[in-house]
Amino acid sequence: MTDTVARAHEAGKTFANPGVSGAGQAARPAPLLAVHNVEVIYDKVFLAIKGVSLEVPEGAIVALLGSNGAGKSTTLKAISGLLGPERGQVTKGTVRWRGQDITRLSPPARVRLGIAQVLEGRRVFEHLTPEENLIAASTPIGNARRVRELVQMVYDYFPRLYERRNAKAGYLSGGEQQMLAIGRALMAEPRLLLLDEPSLGLAPVLVEEIFRIVQRINQEQGVSVLLVEQNARAALDVASYGYLMEDGRVRMDGPAEVLKANPDIQEFYLGGGAGRTSYRDVKHYRRRKRWLA
Amino acid sequence: MTFLAELAINGALVGLMYALVASGIVLVYKSSGVVNLAQGGFVMAGAYLVWAYIARLGLGLIPGILAAAASMGALGWLTERLALRRMIGQPVIMILMLTFGLEVVLRGAVPGALGADTKPMPIPISQAPVWLGDILINRTYILGGAVAVVMVALLAVFFRTRAGIAMRAVSDDHLAAWAVGIPVERTVALSWAVSGAVAAVTGVLWGAVQGVDWSLSLLLIKALSVAVLGGLDSLSGVVLAGLIVGVFESVISGYVDPFVGGGTREVVAAVVIFLTVLIRPYGLFGREVIERV
Repeated sequence: MTDTVARAHEAGKTFANPGVSGAGQAARPAPLLAVHNVEVIYDKVFLAIKGVSLEVPEGAIVALLGSNGAGKSTTLKAISGLLGPERGQVTKGTVRWRGQDITRLSPPARVRLGIAQVLEGRRVFEHLTPEENLIAASTPIGNARRVRELVQMVYDYFPRLYERRNAKAGYLSGGEQQMLAIGRALMAEPRLLLLDEPSLGLAPVLVEEIFRIVQRINQEQGVSVLLVEQNARAALDVASYGYLMEDGRVRMDGPAEVLKANPDIQEFYLGGGAGRTSYRDVKHYRRRKRWLA
Repeated sequence: MTFLAELAINGALVGLMYALVASGIVLVYKSSGVVNLAQGGFVMAGAYLVWAYIARLGLGLIPGILAAAASMGALGWLTERLALRRMIGQPVIMILMLTFGLEVVLRGAVPGALGADTKPMPIPISQAPVWLGDILINRTYILGGAVAVVMVALLAVFFRTRAGIAMRAVSDDHLAAWAVGIPVERTVALSWAVSGAVAAVTGVLWGAVQGVDWSLSLLLIKALSVAVLGGLDSLSGVVLAGLIVGVFESVISGYVDPFVGGGTREVVAAVVIFLTVLIRPYGLFGREVIERV
């Protein structure tokens, strides 16, 4: 067991937060998104994330993995600015967009810069039709003709939405709602798409389909993606780089291939590994590991 | 038979004017999910302002009405800006109490400042009735009904435009609206401003019917029963509900009042609220809570 722990440590050190070390190298251009040492406190008492740093380079798909309550959604909301309604606050650290500090910007202002978040649980406008959902999300776009082009583009990526464009969005299936939520985020012509658990509650076939489309959007539109997932396997298949969060901190990060090969990640997040069968053992082992880390 | 037709037609016209009062409630509810219990006070304040601008300051009829609409729009906007925005995230009951408190303040303050005695609304509508065959119709009601239909139609058109769709999106899900770049606060403030302006126009009509004094604010009860029956967020529902409430009220009080000595008019509205909430809580056309399985 100690052997595995040591390896995990090594992995952690090897790929420790390129964002932090990158700050020292003056010649490097600023990445699209750089989160530096961000701490978020809810309700002035609950410390949800404790000094998270991560980077999303232009054009990349980056995965943010971790179990329930690790602080992934909070990290996304710190980036998109949506902590306010939940009485959360960034108390330390900075969020930078192409080098510009946006930590205190309002959410609509961030959307206009090019950051669009797809919320966990889809959150489509239930009483509007899919088409109206898309039009409502076009508010930051001034030009009416451009809005029509964007709606058409979304329909091209998600033909299913076109078929159901006049139904109430609340009655769409879970997969269709997820497509609508992603399509809606595309209406503001984002440069960075923040996806919060797009696989939640969907059949594996659908998850695959949606991830394929996300990949196409990434390649064809040049939209970078920060993908929050519990489904680590699906996420690491499409992402080029990954961060693993645990207990409000980034525990480990590295290229997707390296993370996939890491025995700990295999055991805890990919469901493979050393053949430990009893959950109690796993739990005990995990807790021990957290203390040591 | 003539008596019944007369009651029904006059009742229907009055009902349309109720619908206009209720449309102010619907407008705010549609954007922010808040039931504005100060709408009666808004209508009364609007009527007082029209009277004050025309009779005291000597403005012409149309400039007076426009000035009152602008002032009431500002009052609505300020209400959102100064009071409701601080209440975001608070329990619904607190927001309801806030708007009701505003109603009480308006009821006391406006007559206190401008005079509590009943004043005639200074608009030139002939008191001579209109005859439709044997049926006697109140001229003011005809004007009121017509204005109500036009205003509600204009609002319905507005809700199909991009700004209107965005407003409906805001009412569905504040956080999601924020996430796609809709300036939620500004949208909600706009709905309050429009609702205030509508209240001023409504105040002119009702002031012409029953004179300008504090009792105009009692329209709140009628408007609430119409809005609840119509479904709180549906303009077509409000028109239909207005017709229903108006006709029932008029017919029932016409036949029953001689036996009980009057007052049934007020009972009808209360019974409507009561029965709607028991039998069809989301009203005739109100959106049901969509539950997908």
